[in-house]
This record gives sequence, structure tokens and C-alpha cells, in this order.
Amino acid sequence: MVSERVLIIVPAFNEGRVISRLVKELRTLYPKYDVLVINDGSVDATPREAQEAGATVVTLPYNLGIGGAVGTGLRIADEENYDVALQIDGDGQHDPAFLKDVLNPVLNGRLDLSIGSRFLSRESAFKSTFLRRIGIRFFSGLLGLMTGVRLSDPTSGFRAVSKTLIPYFARYYPVDFPEPEAIQMANRFGAKIGEVPVKMRKRLGGISSIRYFSVLYYMAKVTFAILIDVLKKKK
Amino acid sequence: MQARTFAILIAVAIMISVIELIRREKMTFKYSCLWLVASAVVLFFAFSPHVLRQVSEVAGFVLPSNFVFFLLLTFFVFLSLFLTIYINEQNNRTDSLAQSIAMLEYKIHKKS
Repeated sequence: MVSERVLIIVPAFNEGRVISRLVKELRTLYPKYDVLVINDGSVDATPREAQEAGATVVTLPYNLGIGGAVGTGLRIADEENYDVALQIDGDGQHDPAFLKDVLNPVLNGRLDLSIGSRFLSRESAFKSTFLRRIGIRFFSGLLGLMTGVRLSDPTSGFRAVSKTLIPYFARYYPVDFPEPEAIQMANRFGAKIGEVPVKMRKRLGGISSIRYFSVLYYMAKVTFAILIDVLKKKK
Repeated sequence: MQARTFAILIAVAIMISVIELIRREKMTFKYSCLWLVASAVVLFFAFSPHVLRQVSEVAGFVLPSNFVFFLLLTFFVFLSLFLTIYINEQNNRTDSLAQSIAMLEYKIHKKS
């Protein structure tokens, strides 16, 4: 079997307390894959902790937000000709044990964009805030309308991207709140999009990129971005 | 009447150009927000002049046209304030970028 080259992209902003454990888990479970931590302008020990745990670390000189961080990882994946780019959050919310489930559909060519959903498995009793659930429901409906693909967890940042899709994302990756918009983009580029069930853990550290006061802005921005993307050129 | 048509045309033109700029990835939502909201407000008042009259009366303006001028002035004051903030942010970022590049150069020299 030819072994595919997989780049595990870990965006991390001030995750010094948890990043080491995550990187070690990844390196133990998946010794063949490369772990790249994108230090998004952290002011704590994130880069040192990640490096000591055995990850390759790149540091952004200032905080670009999740989109800018993941975009950096995807550009590196493109430049270095990786077969799959896998994104997993640096705060420990995504359980590395499920990484292979997210990865497999892309490895065997079934999907170009594989998303780990916390709502697909019945046993996962993931506690989400009320507002967040409404937002997820709304984007799932909107994306269903635009792409014809029904997703249960469009805001999930636990996802794998195939080699055909990486160059498009490397050229332009959405900023601010990129996850739902990236799905619409992938659809525009003719990607096969799907979900796999994952369990998410309680956040070990860090804070969500979506705070209460910005929920309205988030909803407006992402809705607008998805609608605009529909108007963009096909390829 | 003509003033209203004029306002509507300009607002629509601005809205379309901003949306087209975002579509071409030359502008992001963050920076276009203010323009989109402003043109939406203009369209709203243009299509419901009685609301404009009432609001300007409540705000203490004798003539609705004065209220419109006041709104425009406020809009531009805030716009330039935001632009100053953005420029400052960019300035800090370029400085930081320059330092990062210098640090990279230092690391490369030390290795070779």
C-alpha cells in the first residue's frame, strides 16, 4: 500500500496548557503523519510546548484568527504537495481518536471534504449553548439550500481536505468565521462533501472564537458570505 | 421627488459596487459593513419619507433635509474614525512583520 502523506494542521491561539497533550496524543496515534501547529500569535507558551511535544511549529507574527491560521496550514500543505490536509482544533475539543474516521473517506476517495459532526452519533451528548444550536440549525438549512448537501454540523472545524481541493483553499481561504463558508466554496469547486460522526470533548482550555456579543455579527457575516460565494465564478 | 430618486439611485449603485467588490474578493465583509448598512438606511428613508419626517421631528430638526445632512456628516465622521483605526492597525502589523522578517534573517545567519 502506498502511504499517503497527511498533514495534520492544528491552529492554536494561547493553548499552552493543553497543546502538549494533544500533540503527544497525535504523535502516538498517528506516527506516520506530520503534525503542524500554527501558532496564531499566542502570548503564552504555546509554540514552545508544541515544539517540545514534537510538532513542527510555525508562528504568525500577530493573531490572524482561525481562518488566517488554517489558511496558512493549507498553503503549506499545497506547497509541500500533501495528499490530505486535516484540521483539528488546538484546544483539545476534538478527540484525536476520531481523526482516522474523519480522514478515511478522503483517503479512499469517497469525499473531498470530510467533516466530523458531533450531532450524528446518538450517544454523543454534546452540550452546546442554545444560541449556538440555533446558529448551527440555520447554517445547515442555508447550506442545504445552496449546495444540496444536508449537513448536521456545518460549523465543525474537525475536517479533512483532499488533494484536489487544497489548491483552491490555498489560493483563498475565508477569514473571521470560515467553516460554513468553506463548505459553500468547496461545493462551488465541485467537491464531494460529507460528514462522519465524531465525539467532541469538553473544551480543555482556550475560549471559543465565537463570543456572545459577536453572535449577531457572525450570523450576518457568514450568511452574507455564503450568498456572495454563490455568485462567484465556478472555477 | 427628484431628490428621492437621486438618493435611491446612489444608494443602489453603492450597494451593487460593494457587493461586486466582495464577490471579486477585493473587499471583505468587515470593511464593507458600514457601507452596506448606510446604503440600506438611505433606501429605507427614501421609501418611507413619513418615517424620516417623524424621526427628524423627534430628533429636534425643523427640516427633514437638515436631519439628512446631519446623518451624512455623522456617517463620515465615524467612517474616518474607523479608517484611522484601521490604518493604525495596518501600521502596527507592518512593523511587526518587518521585525519578524529580521528575526528570521537572524536565525538563518546563525545556522549558516
